[in-house]
Amino acid sequence: MGYKIPEELKYTKNDEWLKVDGEIGTVGITDYAQDKLGDIVYLEEIEKGKKIKAGETLTTIESVKAASDIYSPVSGEIVEVNEDTIKDPSIINKDPYGKGWIVKIKIENPAEIDKLMTPKEYSEYRKE
Amino acid sequence: MRYIPNTEKQKEEMLKEIGVSSFTDLLKDIPDSVLLKTDLNIPGPINEQKLTERIYDISKKNADFFSIKPLVGAGAYRHFIPEVVKTITAREEFYTSYTPYQPEVSQGNLQSMFEYQTHIAKLTGMDVVVPSIYDGASATAEAVLMAMRLSKKNKILVSSLLHPHYLETVRTYTEPHKMEIITIPYKNILTDIENFEKNLTDDVAAFVIQSPNFLGGIENVSEFARIAHQKNVLIIQVIAESLSLGILKSPGEADVDIVAGEAQSFGMDLDFGGPYNGYLASKMKYIRQIPGRITGETTDKNGNRGFVMTFRAREQDIRREKATSNICSNHALNIVAGNVYLSLLGKRGLKSLADLNFKSAHYLRKKLLDTKAFSGPDYPFFNEFILKSDKKEETIDLLMKKGFVPPLDLSKFYPELEGYLLFAVTEIFTKKDLDFIAGLFSR
Amino acid sequence: MKLIYEKSVKGRIGFSIPEDSFDEISVDIPEYAKPHKEYDLPEVSEPDVVRHFTKLSKLNYGVDDGLYPLGSCTMKYNPKINEKLANLDNFLYAHPFAPERYVQGSLQIMFELGELLNEITGMDKFSMMPAAGAHGELTGVLMIRKYFESKGKPRHKMIIPDSAHGTNPASSAMAGFRVVEVKSNERGGVDISELEKIMDEDTAGLMLTNPNTVGLFDENILKIADIVHSKGGLLYYDGANLNALLGIVRPGDAGFDLLHLNLHKTFSTPHGGGGPGAGVVGAKKELIEFLPSPIVCKNEKGYFFEFPKNSIGRVRAFYGNFSVLVKAYAWILSMGPQGLREAAETSIINANYVLAKLKDYYKPAYDRTCMHECVLTGREYKKYGVRTLDISKRLMDYGFHPPTIYFPHFEPYAEETIMIEPPESESKETLDSFIEAMIKISKEARTKPELLKEAPHSTPVGRLDEVKAVKNPKLHY
Repeated sequence: MGYKIPEELKYTKNDEWLKVDGEIGTVGITDYAQDKLGDIVYLEEIEKGKKIKAGETLTTIESVKAASDIYSPVSGEIVEVNEDTIKDPSIINKDPYGKGWIVKIKIENPAEIDKLMTPKEYSEYRKE
Repeated sequence: MRYIPNTEKQKEEMLKEIGVSSFTDLLKDIPDSVLLKTDLNIPGPINEQKLTERIYDISKKNADFFSIKPLVGAGAYRHFIPEVVKTITAREEFYTSYTPYQPEVSQGNLQSMFEYQTHIAKLTGMDVVVPSIYDGASATAEAVLMAMRLSKKNKILVSSLLHPHYLETVRTYTEPHKMEIITIPYKNILTDIENFEKNLTDDVAAFVIQSPNFLGGIENVSEFARIAHQKNVLIIQVIAESLSLGILKSPGEADVDIVAGEAQSFGMDLDFGGPYNGYLASKMKYIRQIPGRITGETTDKNGNRGFVMTFRAREQDIRREKATSNICSNHALNIVAGNVYLSLLGKRGLKSLADLNFKSAHYLRKKLLDTKAFSGPDYPFFNEFILKSDKKEETIDLLMKKGFVPPLDLSKFYPELEGYLLFAVTEIFTKKDLDFIAGLFSR
Repeated sequence: MKLIYEKSVKGRIGFSIPEDSFDEISVDIPEYAKPHKEYDLPEVSEPDVVRHFTKLSKLNYGVDDGLYPLGSCTMKYNPKINEKLANLDNFLYAHPFAPERYVQGSLQIMFELGELLNEITGMDKFSMMPAAGAHGELTGVLMIRKYFESKGKPRHKMIIPDSAHGTNPASSAMAGFRVVEVKSNERGGVDISELEKIMDEDTAGLMLTNPNTVGLFDENILKIADIVHSKGGLLYYDGANLNALLGIVRPGDAGFDLLHLNLHKTFSTPHGGGGPGAGVVGAKKELIEFLPSPIVCKNEKGYFFEFPKNSIGRVRAFYGNFSVLVKAYAWILSMGPQGLREAAETSIINANYVLAKLKDYYKPAYDRTCMHECVLTGREYKKYGVRTLDISKRLMDYGFHPPTIYFPHFEPYAEETIMIEPPESESKETLDSFIEAMIKISKEARTKPELLKEAPHSTPVGRLDEVKAVKNPKLHY
């Protein structure tokens, strides 16, 4: 179906992506997810400084016809929240991998990264 | 059967198109052991004439309630309903239509909802209005759950003068969450503010106060709100007699956070307890936690104004077990009733009616006290008040015999109020009626 | 169309204010409750109001206008005599706190309706209290919860099929249960082996709609009941689709322990634009003690309210949506046992007829005989850039209210779904027109997809911007 799946990222079954830069992981949702949601209108506030475990809910994302929980791919501390995205969630639709990032996490346990899907595995998983 | 158009012949043609030889072929997936082998053992069919007679006969076993004016309210108020309300709600486009999920063919319902939301927003002074929850009791329960979600706390304070049915409903809805409910006693027929303050701890999510309260008393909601907000506790005001909004300070002006109301007074008949129409209202910042259907204004691709149900991601069909509530169908037609009623009355009509209710109730109380057959506390009230009769049973019987639904015997809800009766007086009573009633007791 | 506020003219009123002869009484509101902010309501005359709402009504579409093929909503004919009978003065003006001896007629209706429903569904006692289906579901799951608590062995999970209506998991969550989803199998029923795996002694039960939301009767119903009961669980029946079973199957005979019914669906009471209906709850003997309180009983002296000893309490004020109960009562008597069965039969034939005629144009979700509703899909039109939404909007141009779309939704069978329920009050000619329209639209989807994507064209407003409604909320005038 032609969804963008950048090579340098890791993916989850719930359509989150993770970009690893040293000990910081940036999290967002994939092109497939933003397309399925439709126009995104709301993102629930995220607490900076909060400690989170892999699989725990980061936030809820809301479109006109759907609402989804976003889970953290890894455990750690939320060190930065993208306030621009919270203020204008439509950025996620326009640029899900770039300006539409959601949080940055200080990764507690790098071994968790290997449990995530590779771009190839995610592409297979989401094959239309 | 006259409600079923397709004839046996037509059904045969259809079965042929389906590709089966008989209807029972279509039941092949059903285990034989559960298929009924005989007709249901119920009466009927009875024709329209017989049906009419039968139900008329049953209705005759009720008292002649049109003529028997109720001296009781307690959450169900007999007000005069202008005929236009009935004419409009009897239009098939309103009463046989469905939920407006397809807005392009439902603008009638949606615009009407928007208008009614506006009426209630103006009367309550709140930003967000959910125009229909089943009734005031379930609206109160939903408001409590909403406060629980907003504050992430599991304890509430409730005035003991909340309508007993409403309090019971709150208990039922909050039981699975093991919510702690502390009732605040009353003093002089108003909620005891000192006791409230004493119980106001940091773990309290909200305080629920009904005003006018179950015994008719007008509470000082602003003061309760001021104190509650100092401790970050939400204030939920419950309104069972919404006509009171015609002359009392609005919840918004009192800085109330959530309103749980009953709009039955706006165009709905007593109907032995239902269907009525509850509503919720809140400050805008709480919108994502308020349950129930809301309509909003928008435009179509040509820039025409239109209305749609909005903020749907709160609802059960989208959020399932994470929804703000399970509510789906509500009491939508009563939104139309309320809208028509309030449109006919306007501000002048509503205020005059509220004034009249106030005066009529105060008049009767004074006249009853003058007979010396009654005694009772002095407290500010709207159109309901309590009086004690030393001959309670005889009083009730006498009023019934003379053609009135008697006031409510309060001992069943408040044992300490043995002998007290809860009276309601609306514009349904003329001055002559009230003189007659008082006259029954003059010694 | 203008809002009623936009038609306001200062000084107008649509109400004749009653005379106030209480000069000796002044309206003494305590200072703390005196309003300081003015409110405004519309100032319009009675004719203004009548014209306004008459015009508004014409922007709607009702069952009396035409086919309303919404799946699982059972938009059947609302008999007019029932409206009149529900509005008889002695019913309409009855105060809920009137002494019991003055409301024997109202209590008789409530009691007898319960008896009729017992026989129709195979239950032992009904509560008329819940105001809607979801309200009935909440009542039912709260009863289930209390049942286990009363035994001193509370349970924490509720199984819900993936095909279930959203109110099922929502109600379970409200009752404090953790929702466990069970998948549907390739036949559209509950996956038995999965159910066996997840059913345990911490599971209170299973909520089941049968026929389910894909219009199919779960042929494994007896096995399902057995699996749930063998672990001490309860089986709850969501009665939304009872129209297919009237006089054919009784849920109580098929292993269900308690249920709710939608009087505004199966039992012909009007939908009112979204309510009021009634979601009455029926229970087998062992569960009667948990019913919401009060219930209506009868002895040699007459009818009276009783308070079940282990009741879950109240779920609303007073007793039930009384006028709705009268309408359902009148409908059941009008139909009689033969009429009820005829309703079920006709609705099943109607739905299978539509399925047979449209299955080559809209691939059905399952290759099976359906019950009273069929589920087709719009999947194959995606390649023309046409979504099921577009198909539904185009139907409006043909004068039909669209069927239910995108529900149920569970992969891989139920996607881009179109759920069509043509109740027994729909004639073959109406169905033929609907079928013809759907076929025309399928051709348009291939040859003129823009016509669908821009639809509807003939309605008072075009497709509305729902994103704008949320991003720039305007919730009142």
